[in-house]
Amino acid sequence: MRQIPEQQIDSRAIPYWRWSAGINSLFMFLVPAAYYGASRLWHWPAWITAVLLIMVLAVASFFIFVKPEIKWKTWRYEVSEQEIDLLRGVFVKTRTLIPMARVQHVDTRQGPLLRHYGLSTVTISTAAGTHEIPALADDVAGILRDRISELARVVDEDV
Amino acid sequence: MYEPQRLHPLSILDYLIKNIYSLLKGLLPLFLVALADAGIRKWFLLAVPFLLVLFVVYGVLYWLRYVFYLRGQELRLEYGVFVRKQRYIPIERIQSVQISAGILQRLLGVVKIQVETAGAGNQAEFVLSALPRQKAETLREILQAGRQIPDQAEQVPPAAEYRLSPRRLLLLATTSNGIGVVLSALLAAVSQLDDFFSDLNIWIKIGQYVENLAAGKISMFILVIVILFLFAWLISLAGSLIRFSGFRLTRDGDNIRISRGLLEKQQLTLPVKRLQAVKVVEGILRQPFGMLSVQVISISNSAGAKGEGNVLFPLLPHSRLHHYLQQMLPEFAVISDIKGLPASARRRYLLVNTLPALLIAILSAIFLPWGYLAFIIVPLAAWLGNAQYRSAGWLIDTDRLVLRTRTLGRVTTIVPRRKIQSMSVSQNFFQKRLGLASLRINTASGLGAAVVQVKGMDERTCQDIIQWFSARSAFYQ
Repeated sequence: MRQIPEQQIDSRAIPYWRWSAGINSLFMFLVPAAYYGASRLWHWPAWITAVLLIMVLAVASFFIFVKPEIKWKTWRYEVSEQEIDLLRGVFVKTRTLIPMARVQHVDTRQGPLLRHYGLSTVTISTAAGTHEIPALADDVAGILRDRISELARVVDEDV
Repeated sequence: MYEPQRLHPLSILDYLIKNIYSLLKGLLPLFLVALADAGIRKWFLLAVPFLLVLFVVYGVLYWLRYVFYLRGQELRLEYGVFVRKQRYIPIERIQSVQISAGILQRLLGVVKIQVETAGAGNQAEFVLSALPRQKAETLREILQAGRQIPDQAEQVPPAAEYRLSPRRLLLLATTSNGIGVVLSALLAAVSQLDDFFSDLNIWIKIGQYVENLAAGKISMFILVIVILFLFAWLISLAGSLIRFSGFRLTRDGDNIRISRGLLEKQQLTLPVKRLQAVKVVEGILRQPFGMLSVQVISISNSAGAKGEGNVLFPLLPHSRLHHYLQQMLPEFAVISDIKGLPASARRRYLLVNTLPALLIAILSAIFLPWGYLAFIIVPLAAWLGNAQYRSAGWLIDTDRLVLRTRTLGRVTTIVPRRKIQSMSVSQNFFQKRLGLASLRINTASGLGAAVVQVKGMDERTCQDIIQWFSARSAFYQ
């Protein structure tokens, strides 16, 4: 049995995820809104609007108030000389292993919301898709990016 | 090869045809409008020859300024009339070299060379549209071997060879998925008729057909179905003939060579060390005949994108698989048997297939006339689920991982450890309770990632496999 990866991501990830979930859930309210409009037009039963609204509220509050914290607790990563080890997932726990020799390049990314919290996302690209370590403090992300890039160069192999 | 040189002048024609065709395709609506109006037509018809002359002049200039040559370990290309462009490709980065010849090219004895590297996108990186065959072969030799001087004395006859016999080709066409595609295209066309000619009432007529079944018109009904199948079969046969006629695969040192095609002779060379994975596909229509096909996952773009370039053995009897792999691709020949999944995983495979089938059956029984007939799919789904469970499995054979899954057909993927880009083990709530997990690997392909996932593996097995993937990589450094 392998040890679980050591590093945790930044705790500011929690408010960041709350806000981004909040913004995303605005789109969910389009469903009851659309139904409300339709029910006025074609005289469908009105109580379904309320049911839809409650459902959306329940789902949204789960994503805003419950999931970010669990997600933060479960997210783990570790970068060794030979490989990158990721562990994540609330409902489905996923462990991913990326050998350093397969890393093609590393990026850091930062949207406006992430910048507000001083966070960055590290994106690791292989010849078959990309992997993310979300929400690390800016300086940690920068150091990690440089380190992976350095290590990947050392063990460069051709595809 | 080492001094800059031009292509065969046929490439001018090739350039003209390609560009005029794409221009026509884009501006066709505009042309139609222009031709419809008498006033514009006069000017338009005057402009066309002028434009054509411009095109020809530009084409000739383009040809004059399009040169390629080898310098050091690089293949270099310089082109462009107004803006000079240079493209250098390190020979060691070349993934595949493909030689093909269309009808026009064959008449003049020239060929087209496409050179692929691992870059993204569907376009080949380096296309030389017309080159005398001899020169093309020499160039390919150099590119493939990655050496400076081609050595004629080293021309050894290929050690092993696979050919597709005409009888096999017939069976290939009959059992290919193409038949299903053609059939559904025909059905879609019929249903479209309904939209275009609403007074035809196709579906009502079909309904009447079904009603008439009981009234003794069954022979007519069967006739229609037989004709439909025959038609689909002929189209599929034509497609297979065009693509796979004269299919020949040889192993030649470090390379695999494939030549095939009826209208356009194609030759593809794949370096074996560039192959990412080999897939043994046992289609559901082919399994009763004991037949399978072997495909390859490679990074070369055009080979993967067209979907047919990646076929190694279009059709092979199950019993000969090992023989041929051992001869042509010993790197991917696996002897031991696949290990199956634990019994506790069976339930998941059954549920995932039968539950949606049951839902569809119930819905159609409620809403459709004759809908209860749909219950027939429930036992079929259960049977499929069981087949999926029995097919799924894994094997570690020294430095290769073998994963087997089934959706409809059974697919066995053989990947060298070095070619696995990343590996994931995931576990949901139900799997955790049963001590199961899913194993997923990503390998590189021309279209990005090729993903293989086996669900319902033993969780300790998954740990062992990820350890095998990890520990050895630590070993190498």
